[in-house]
Amino acid sequence: MQTLESLLLGFIGIMIVNNLVFTKFLGTCPYLGVSGRIDTAFGMGCAVTFVVTLAGALTWTLDYLVLIPYGLDVMRYVCYILVIAGAVQLVEMYVRKFFPVLYESFGIFLPLITTNCAILGMCLFINLWGIDNLPEAVVLSVGAGLGFTLAICIMAGIRENLELADVPAALRGAPITLITAGLLTLAFMGFAGMIR
Amino acid sequence: MSKLRFFWEQSWLLLVSSLIFGVLLAMADAALAPRIKRNETEKFTRLAGGMLPEAVRFEPVEPKIAVTASNGKTVEVEVYRGLDEQGRTAGWAFACEGGGFSDKIKLVVGVDGRFEKLAGFGVLSSNETPGFGDKITIPGGFFQKQFVGAPADKLTLVKTGRPEQIDAEIVAITGATVTSQAVVDILNMYVLAIRSALKEQGLLN
Amino acid sequence: MAENQTSVGRSFLAGLWDENPVLRLILGMCPTLAVTTSLQAALTMGASVIFVLICSNLVVSAMRNLLKPHLRILMFTLTIAAFVTIADLFLKAYQPEMSAKLGPYIPLIIVNCIIICRAEACASKNGLLVSLADALGMGLGFTGALTVLAVIRELLATGQIVFTFSRSFTLVRLPDVPLFRMAGMAMPVGAFLMLGLMLGLVKLLTTKRT
Repeated sequence: MQTLESLLLGFIGIMIVNNLVFTKFLGTCPYLGVSGRIDTAFGMGCAVTFVVTLAGALTWTLDYLVLIPYGLDVMRYVCYILVIAGAVQLVEMYVRKFFPVLYESFGIFLPLITTNCAILGMCLFINLWGIDNLPEAVVLSVGAGLGFTLAICIMAGIRENLELADVPAALRGAPITLITAGLLTLAFMGFAGMIR
Repeated sequence: MSKLRFFWEQSWLLLVSSLIFGVLLAMADAALAPRIKRNETEKFTRLAGGMLPEAVRFEPVEPKIAVTASNGKTVEVEVYRGLDEQGRTAGWAFACEGGGFSDKIKLVVGVDGRFEKLAGFGVLSSNETPGFGDKITIPGGFFQKQFVGAPADKLTLVKTGRPEQIDAEIVAITGATVTSQAVVDILNMYVLAIRSALKEQGLLN
Repeated sequence: MAENQTSVGRSFLAGLWDENPVLRLILGMCPTLAVTTSLQAALTMGASVIFVLICSNLVVSAMRNLLKPHLRILMFTLTIAAFVTIADLFLKAYQPEMSAKLGPYIPLIIVNCIIICRAEACASKNGLLVSLADALGMGLGFTGALTVLAVIRELLATGQIVFTFSRSFTLVRLPDVPLFRMAGMAMPVGAFLMLGLMLGLVKLLTTKRT
């Protein structure tokens, strides 16, 4: 059973030190696409956090209840992606029907992020790091989602200001966003090695 | 009945192809799994054998030794005793791992027969920065050489020093301090715990 | 038939430059940034993507008339996941070093936008030959973009191009000057910066001057 301290360290570690976007390059497509304005960025971040927590918990449970005990490791990727897709679909239908207000704020992003590298990537990392208890898997997933939210909101803030700057024509859009992301990564590198 | 028929009509392709893919994956797994397993053990034996040349075979020590990591988790380590042609202990080898700069670093560590001096280490897997942290993987390179003959005791990392002097001070790779520290930490964590466990079991005389 | 020939040829060439998935369509960023630290890793990833693209495009094209609209994304995903698993097993068996280095990025091919997009946009609407040409074109375009980025990054970071199988082969070795020892290039910083500059360059080359 993990002590609270190691859970907290793991949480901060994945949110800041091993940030999914800046160090593992996960979730770059929505990161580039939806970071134009802070409110949409925040909505996207919330959606990602929600989905990755759900996905992390479900895939970990599937792994330890079914895949590992029965030696079905070869089916891992197929099962993971089907579970993620299915769960997100169900959740989206449920939220659209019963929580329309919530749906307005972040429900529209839900189908988009099923095929987001961040979700499947986080589930695979949980498997790769040999996390052997559910609380730790959930905490890491939440941390990862919040880290993504942090990254995308920072980027949105910068991009809103970039609109007013004189960016060369060739660099407008994706190129300048990537360069900005590179500089952000450089800044976050200051945290490297802080928590191993 | 018509509901069942509707269900079947919509999803027969999904179900049939799931079955076909399932069989395909099972076949691929059956064909390749033995080779994958062999790859894993082969690297360990090759690295361990390179560090302990007199050992002709390696026997696992039972029971597995429990090592407590820095985050409180306990890991069970399989320690191997290297035996020479006369059946005497030529050395010890074990696999260990810990967090590095980018990802996990997995090492094979060799220790001499009396568990007094390290025979060195080899890297099973790592994903450190190419050209910097990656230098820990160079066989017989600047970093690895400092561990051959170093005391099987607590090691300290220093930024500058005399790398050619083989002692408990390890000089870090320039520009890869975190990775170098990670390797030293892994060794400190495992070597001391395994030494006391083996002493307790009376295997070190 | 003449029309079929043009369609096949055009599909193949489109993926190489005009609709290059990385440089023009801006898809599949995650592997592009992650595996271009070394040329060997980039080529391994490129080969895996080509394999999965071809297989999945062919299978999807073969069953395109049987697909039900609601479930088609699920079918694509299932097909792609199966072939990615096979590719991953192959890499683990015959290239364990590369497999360990690429880590989770091989299974992430499953959610690589390129493959699902091609299945949706092309393979589910066209015949086998066109789908095959499209897969080859897109795959080679992807690999080409990855190769260029990997060569630049590896040379700037370490000054050499090294291939490791059971032994190491150094293909190119540049002089030991600070220009070719930029640590940042091998790290995420360099990935984002170089890709951004490359995309900017491509945009510059392809914008028609008015």
